[in-house]
Amino acid sequence: MKHVICRIEKCLGCRSCELACAAQHSESGTISGALLEPVPPTRRIRVERIDGSGILYRSRTLALQCRHCEEPVCVQACISGGIRRDVKTGEVRIDPEKCVGCWSCVMVCPFGAIVRHEGIGRAMKCDHCAGRPSPACVDACPTRALVYCERDEIQARASRT
Amino acid sequence: MNILIVGCSAAGTAAIEAVRTYDWKSSIVQLSDERDPLYSRCLLPYWLSGAIAEEGLRYRDASFHRDMQVTLHEGKRAVRLNAQSQHVVCNDGSIYPFDRLLIATGSSAKLPDNIPGDIGGVCTLRTRADAEAIRECAVRAGGAVVLGGGLIGLKTACALGESGMETTVVMKSDRVLSQMIDREASRIITGRLRTRKVGVLEGSDCSGIHHREGRLVAVVTDQGRTIPCELLIVAKGVRPNVSLAEGTGIAVRSGIVTSATMQTTQENIFAAGDVAETYDIAREEYAVNALWTCAVQQGRVAGLNMIGRKASYDGAVGMNALNIGGIPLIAYGMTNPREESGCRVLIHGKRESALYRKIVLKDHRIRGIILLGRIDDAGVLLSLIRQRTDVSAFEEELMSSQFNFAGLLRNVGKTVIDAYQSS
Repeated sequence: MKHVICRIEKCLGCRSCELACAAQHSESGTISGALLEPVPPTRRIRVERIDGSGILYRSRTLALQCRHCEEPVCVQACISGGIRRDVKTGEVRIDPEKCVGCWSCVMVCPFGAIVRHEGIGRAMKCDHCAGRPSPACVDACPTRALVYCERDEIQARASRT
Repeated sequence: MNILIVGCSAAGTAAIEAVRTYDWKSSIVQLSDERDPLYSRCLLPYWLSGAIAEEGLRYRDASFHRDMQVTLHEGKRAVRLNAQSQHVVCNDGSIYPFDRLLIATGSSAKLPDNIPGDIGGVCTLRTRADAEAIRECAVRAGGAVVLGGGLIGLKTACALGESGMETTVVMKSDRVLSQMIDREASRIITGRLRTRKVGVLEGSDCSGIHHREGRLVAVVTDQGRTIPCELLIVAKGVRPNVSLAEGTGIAVRSGIVTSATMQTTQENIFAAGDVAETYDIAREEYAVNALWTCAVQQGRVAGLNMIGRKASYDGAVGMNALNIGGIPLIAYGMTNPREESGCRVLIHGKRESALYRKIVLKDHRIRGIILLGRIDDAGVLLSLIRQRTDVSAFEEELMSSQFNFAGLLRNVGKTVIDAYQSS
């Protein structure tokens, strides 16, 4: 399956991905429309500061979202059965109808990639923008730090850059 | 191969899913002492409060057993195990042979001796049948008492409070969640409970009850108080249902003794979930962690090993998440170390804003965490406990509310990058 990966060296920390993600997951699907919605949309990607001038990286930020793990701990922790891994696509999905907002998934996700929507009390996370050929965050990334590609390709691209 | 699974909750279900990931040839038979057993116990308080409908209790699709090619026998209690001749006998005399057995019988609610269980209105909250009984009483009840200030007690009390009932929590301890969090966090939670119209009576135990015509009318505390109520929910903890293993030669301590492969001391017999004693990573001792997540992980490892695939359970970490009155709380491991334990404690807290963060360290490793208010990177911290990471170089950073996965990249480095790229 395809994954979104952030090439840390190219990430500027501009947060365009966060904005695009929130807009994509709003009712209207646009930034301007989202601003007027009664329940503000939430981003499911987060730009995190790696900080300092580390030896490994020139740049200092990482845009992080659900990794769609092969053996997802969130699925194991979910008390309602509302988080499932689709065996066909390999994607991990939250069923908003099943989620009760107990935050068990937040308790176990090693990436901290589950987002709490406090307004509606439900857990949310990256869904690879179901229905879009390429996730909104990837399309919005001005430096192409975010790429959407197959797992083996990820390794190759990561070592190339 | 014949696989027999006793129990149909978290561990049993996870074992089935693990087996069927690789093996569709083995036959799987599952026994449950309940009817329509594939529901989530943890959701029962949500059903009581009205937050979800009964259908919402369902943990997997209605077609689960058919899809997984599992023969489920409902309403059968396994009463005897013959480990040598490899069969289990049920309460109705029926016999089920096995090549591999998984004991996933869970745990039962404790009921103190001075509380008669056969009085209408006296309930525990463990099964759907329990919840149905509570709902039935709740229709007539004006007030409810919850005995026990642990996680189940508080969740139940909040649920009853939300459904509009006058609810009082009576607890022996001088503070709520005393097993899970420290005094300061307890104080914040108690304050929240009071705003939810849930009364808290600390340092009290139930010394007896009054009943009329077989129905509860009041609870009496050992402090001499009489609380009129038609509903008493006893939430004084659970005990593992180990009886099936007793007298069979299988070792039982606080629960059924298991290895990292979830095998009991009998090679072809496995145990998982609330009934199993496993290694506790944070406490560094063997213990029962009666938690949904642990049960699922143990059931999965048991299932894989039953079909000969190598899998190992690296141990449990006591952990709980709770959401009371909009304040999220997550706690792991040892949060309340004794002074002589040699632990160091880092605390950052603002009581007025209900933000609290505590990390317990020993030998440069995290042994316990309390996160109140801001919990978003809880799982990142948990990974440090699980991987027994030496955090001495960045322990101050851990206290920052900004600590996140990128913080691991910075401090733990290469292995974490590999985890990210291969994820």
